[in-house]
Amino acid sequence: MNQSITQLIAGKPVSPESVDSFVRDNTFPLVEPGRVTFVWRGQADEVFLRCWISGLSTAQPLERLDGTDLWALAMDLPDGSRFEYKFEVVANGHRQLVLDALNEVQAHDPFGTNSVCQSHGYQRPSWTLPDPDSRSGTLETLRVASGAFGEAREVQVYLPARYRKTRRYPLLVVHDGLDYLRFADFKTVLDNLIHRLEIPAMIVALTQSPDRMKEYTCDERHARFLGEELLPGLRLKLPISESPADCGLLGSSLGAVASFHTAAQYPQTFGKLLLLSGTFAFSDLGHHKKGPALDGVVEFVNGYRANPFPLAERIYMSCGIYESLIYENRSLLPLLQAQGMQVHFEEARDAHNWENWRDRLRLGLSWLFPGPLWMVYE
Amino acid sequence: MSVQVLLGPQSPRPNLVSAVETTAFDGPVLSITAGWRDSEGEIDDIAADIGLPVQDLGLYQKAETVLANEPELNDLQRERQEKLQELQKLYRIRLNCSLASAHTLLTTEGDDELLRLEQRAAISQLRALDRHHLRRIAAIHANFDARRASLDIPKATAARDEIRSLVASAGLVLIAGGHVAVLINRIRLFGLQSLLRDKPIIAWSAGAMVLGERIVLFHDNAPQGARNAEVLDAGLGLVDKFIPLPHAHSRLDWSDATRMSLFARRFAPSRCCTLDFGSMIRLESGRVAAVAGSSVITRSGKKSSLVAR
Repeated sequence: MNQSITQLIAGKPVSPESVDSFVRDNTFPLVEPGRVTFVWRGQADEVFLRCWISGLSTAQPLERLDGTDLWALAMDLPDGSRFEYKFEVVANGHRQLVLDALNEVQAHDPFGTNSVCQSHGYQRPSWTLPDPDSRSGTLETLRVASGAFGEAREVQVYLPARYRKTRRYPLLVVHDGLDYLRFADFKTVLDNLIHRLEIPAMIVALTQSPDRMKEYTCDERHARFLGEELLPGLRLKLPISESPADCGLLGSSLGAVASFHTAAQYPQTFGKLLLLSGTFAFSDLGHHKKGPALDGVVEFVNGYRANPFPLAERIYMSCGIYESLIYENRSLLPLLQAQGMQVHFEEARDAHNWENWRDRLRLGLSWLFPGPLWMVYE
Repeated sequence: MSVQVLLGPQSPRPNLVSAVETTAFDGPVLSITAGWRDSEGEIDDIAADIGLPVQDLGLYQKAETVLANEPELNDLQRERQEKLQELQKLYRIRLNCSLASAHTLLTTEGDDELLRLEQRAAISQLRALDRHHLRRIAAIHANFDARRASLDIPKATAARDEIRSLVASAGLVLIAGGHVAVLINRIRLFGLQSLLRDKPIIAWSAGAMVLGERIVLFHDNAPQGARNAEVLDAGLGLVDKFIPLPHAHSRLDWSDATRMSLFARRFAPSRCCTLDFGSMIRLESGRVAAVAGSSVITRSGKKSSLVAR
């Protein structure tokens, strides 16, 4: 048990005032090297830590500290880790998922808000925070006609600071682009990395699917939209390099699958792939157990595993070690490397969430699109 | 008396004004901002700060125009750049091995006498590799110059003459930082090396780097991790025995004394001098006449203040 809790309960009976000061004087969860202790305060019949860490039970019980209204759970956690969680509180027969009221650190995603556990040594990277010295790029909305989807699609386009029509820029096409802006501070990251010369000034097309469960699961229409409609359309409107080496796709989760699938349909068109926590589901034998929504993905990945081929020049892959997809991603790595592609694989002490993907952007983008940092001394 | 003033980065705390105020010159002020590439010539702030009109040579843009109008020269230039890039890759292969073995030897424990000789030999090999690389680069430049001399390229010649005449009449030349390879390339393309020799020069960051005998690239804190310092090219040779290190505070890993020691010993007898915000080294006929905020890397990998003599 954490030392401050041990000290608190050592002086029995524990007065409400000493509990108050314990709560006031500490930040939660309680973090020490290699270990984290979660604390919840209130009246309940049961309290569980709910997190989605592969290898651990999704609901782990907190224990009530005798003579107090505090509940606690200590768990080993490697330094530098980060994951998101909620408490499940059971009282009077009702179960309720709640945020950790004692922890101010929260993360947001399309499904809501979670509390964030940051273990010893984790620090939010400075390049994800606004830097007053970084010049700001701009966002514009373009409409791209799509025969594949039978409708026009809106795309947000990031233009870097000091954008000039006379130059030729690399292009990155992003899946779930609006989510990247909202939940992964993507514009701040781009502004900062470009300002620091870690990546070149680039144009970024932020796409957002109205039905990602369908369109991102190896839908031929989506690949056609990106390869035959969006890319040529952007090149007509914007000063984008013609070289595949200057053209990349980014996606996380099913977005990574959509990126991979599109690159496979249009090999050597998108020379750079940034694939984060890709849902690369496959089956070695028998039918997979991932649910019918992933039938198309499994069929595609199985097909690629049977007949692999080079589809890009460079691939940056990452996956959290606290997500079950680490198995699929690790399995894919040697296959990709065997095709002669340059693959950089990073295992993150994090799970399947947006801030994990945010924290991977510096290494991923700068490896795929190295900036002029080495040569520039302002 | 030749005067060169080397400065650190000018943002966010410029010290160009004081450098100009303490430098005697007679004639117009010219600037070379080719390292800024697309932002070349955006010198209104500089002119306002120093309170004097400044004419930018526009080397980057002029080179773009000349190369667009002289396809033979463009082809020759492209061929040279491709060769240089290829050579740099080959050099890196040897460099990485040589540096790794030298670093290992510097951290190995054992018989002092045996070890010392092996360490010296490893560093000598590194220095020989750097010299060999510079000779190969010089041969590529010499080949370019010889072939260029036989080309009929009137537009390039006219642009070169115009720029050289501006430099010849300048009282003071300012050389800004930026992309160091672009900067040295453009200065060479217009043949300004000899003309700059007798001019008072104030140069900062990459501008200071190109004044030395060789240009050394370095970054220990890049996103992909530390990279090995490498010789990019010969500099203009206007400043002897100095390796200017702009942004040394943030770009060098001072916590790794072995790495820093190797850096200093590899480039000795040149002094590896830091140029951070507020740094200034004033050289008069090669003598360090004044210094502010600059250190040299010592043989033991530590910092030692650079002092005027």
